[in-house]
Amino acid sequence: MDSNQAASAEAALSDDGDASLIRWMLSLTPEARLAVLQGFVDSAVELGNGRPA
Amino acid sequence: MVAPPRFKDALEILAKHRVDLVVVGGVAAVLSGAPIATFDLDVVHARSQENLDRLAEALKDLEARYRDSGGRDLRPDTAGLAGDGHHLLLTRCGPLDVLGQIGNGRRYEDLLPDAVAISLGSATVRVLGLSALIRTKEEAGREKDLAVLGILRRTLLESGKK
Repeated sequence: MDSNQAASAEAALSDDGDASLIRWMLSLTPEARLAVLQGFVDSAVELGNGRPA
Repeated sequence: MVAPPRFKDALEILAKHRVDLVVVGGVAAVLSGAPIATFDLDVVHARSQENLDRLAEALKDLEARYRDSGGRDLRPDTAGLAGDGHHLLLTRCGPLDVLGQIGNGRRYEDLLPDAVAISLGSATVRVLGLSALIRTKEEAGREKDLAVLGILRRTLLESGKK
């Protein structure tokens, strides 16, 4: 990341609450991160099928 | 009927067939810690004849067919997979995009130096690192790529603080 990218990212971090979510994701193993995504997808599919997740 | 995504299963089948590939796109971003959502798996494959043969076998195993608006049952083959194009497939493990190149013409060999090996269950897969992923999305410049750049950059910044 160059200095411009870092500066824009720093500015963005102070603008909203996404940083805490990113830090939580980074605290997980890659396999656990994929499980989070899979859980989201499964929930969306269930909702699309008209059933609760 | 379209099978829902099962990312880990798809990656394990590709690994079982020893397909040389780099995971890119949203799944690569998530594996690197970006909190985003995606419904398809994107991979860039090596295009040696041996790897094309292995990929074709893996796609057969995955029951892959093209996403065809006309509903035709079109299956990928090694001749087609040898090109630069994007193969947008449906499989029994969900949507799978097999890409000859991404960004400014970056092929498997170009991406490999920026890929990291990640263990997922029984499979070890190569995943494009976050800096390179950001670069390819900047190069692609499509609306859907640009939409996630902010969160990818923030994730890269946060990962550097760890």
